[in-house]
Amino acid sequence: MTRLLVADDSETVLLMLQRRLEMEGYEVVTATDGVEALARLSEVGSDQPDLILLDAMMPNKSGTEVLEEIRGAGSEIPVVMISAHLDAQEPDRMRSLGATDIIPKPFEWEDLIGKIEELTADGT
Amino acid sequence: MRVNPSLTARLRIGFLVLFALLMVVSLLGVGRLFQIRVNYENDITRYFQLEVETEHLRSAFILEQAAARPATAHQKPSQAELNQAAASFSDAAGRARDLTDGDTTLTAKLGKLTASEASWRKAVAEPLVQERVPPPGVEQRQTSAVTNSGEALAAASRSARDSSRDHARTETRNTTILVAAGLAGALLAALILFSGLINSMRAPLGRLVEGARRLAGGDLRTRVEVGGPVEIAALGRAFNEMANSLERDARERDRVEQMKNDFVLTVSHELRTPVTVVKGFAEMLTAQREGLNSRQFEAAEVIAESAGQLQKMINDLLDLARSDAGKLRIEPEPTPVRPLAQRIGRQMRPHFDGKDQSFTVSVEKDLPEVDADAGRIAQVLANLLTNANKYAPDGAEVRLAASRVGEEIEFAVSDDGPGLEEEQLEHVFERFWRADSTETQSVGGTGLGLAIAKSLVELHGGAISASSAPGRGATFRFVLPISKDGRPTETTPAPRTKAGAAG
Repeated sequence: MTRLLVADDSETVLLMLQRRLEMEGYEVVTATDGVEALARLSEVGSDQPDLILLDAMMPNKSGTEVLEEIRGAGSEIPVVMISAHLDAQEPDRMRSLGATDIIPKPFEWEDLIGKIEELTADGT
Repeated sequence: MRVNPSLTARLRIGFLVLFALLMVVSLLGVGRLFQIRVNYENDITRYFQLEVETEHLRSAFILEQAAARPATAHQKPSQAELNQAAASFSDAAGRARDLTDGDTTLTAKLGKLTASEASWRKAVAEPLVQERVPPPGVEQRQTSAVTNSGEALAAASRSARDSSRDHARTETRNTTILVAAGLAGALLAALILFSGLINSMRAPLGRLVEGARRLAGGDLRTRVEVGGPVEIAALGRAFNEMANSLERDARERDRVEQMKNDFVLTVSHELRTPVTVVKGFAEMLTAQREGLNSRQFEAAEVIAESAGQLQKMINDLLDLARSDAGKLRIEPEPTPVRPLAQRIGRQMRPHFDGKDQSFTVSVEKDLPEVDADAGRIAQVLANLLTNANKYAPDGAEVRLAASRVGEEIEFAVSDDGPGLEEEQLEHVFERFWRADSTETQSVGGTGLGLAIAKSLVELHGGAISASSAPGRGATFRFVLPISKDGRPTETTPAPRTKAGAAG
């Protein structure tokens, strides 16, 4: 089964994403901030997720910082950033840090699912 | 820059000084000329009288000669006649002496004449009267001495008159030249004064004109250097005060505008998360219908639809607030036109089918790629097509067409619905404006779609316009620049399916 790590600081959004992605048949691991997301990654050890979905703005450690650490550790897991684009330079920075794709907030559900399908299909 | 004395004060002083100079030069000149004239007339009179007296002296001497030596032989020399003639000679000499007073040459000549006459009387007249004939050489010598002295005096007097005339002429000429030079000098001084005044105004006035132009051009930080005459300096200060006030107002306006934008941005952003969640869960319920009875399913559908509308409205508001704040971001890249039009067509088709409207998409062959953010242009097209779908009646005809016009690609969305009045066309791109407020209920929507479409198209460097006539449908057109980096003709990539459209 395809595993996803989803991180978002809003618990309701996180729950909604988890339930809908589970409905689509994915196994979902959740985190409510950047620190937790990194903890989940080290926990699962050899059993790494097939794709990571990161909200750009989170407390403790932002999605962008998590992305930087993941890529810094040499991991090539596809990372999709969800960004509200409050700063016009943000997308360029994320791309240069190694984001696989960026989904602007607000997103259409179909766009998100399409993107995840596309990227996980490539991976396996 | 230094502030100079007042213009009026300087003009007043300048005029006074000039007037005084002209008066002094003129009065001195006229006075001098008058004096020269008076002197000349006095001299002429004096010399003329002197000539008359010289003639008197001559005739008195002739009478003396006649008394001393009568013309006929039987007449005897008369002592009485001689004395009478000598007295008249002496009278004339006295008057002449008064006239030659102060002139050494004439005094000397007159002295010589009287001396030679006295000598003649003693050596010639007295002996003759006493009937003693003087030696012949003596009489002749003495007589011609007197005659010569008389002529010399007359000649000197004439020459003195001439020289006096010449002198007056020279004086008059010199004085006239002096007066003319004085007047010319005063006028020159006036000219220098006025050109100085004008020059002292020119630079500060030029700066004011330049400053006013810059201010009118929108540079509110424009200030002018205050300087020049008091009046111009006052104008400069007033200008700077006006600029200060304008800048203050503009800054205050910007601040309020900024606050409004920040407020809308923050509110929309905060509203979005809960709406996304509501919509997400409601959609999940409608997607997995098992376990729901028909009423529950209906409720879930209404929640999902309303949340979708709310989300659309919030997104529209956020887009506009970003556009106002200059933060609306697009990522234009070479984009083929046909797939874009076809994708949006597929998305919108269910809405047209729902109202039995015929919907056609036509894209000209071999169109070059456009410079566009595909997602944003899809949003513009969706807004235009949603309007056509909403406002055209059931069974109407709606067309989406793309064609090349010069160096741009034109997209046109047209319908054969009720159309718009000319007066309405002026407002269609304004926020919250709707064709007819009574229809608001029936057509729904936020009234922001066209305003956003305009912002997005303009952000792409394009332009949008609407044309219509009542009863003859409406056409909305916009143009996008052809991509310079793009391929000249499009190729069709693998189509990507997308369902669902903006609420």
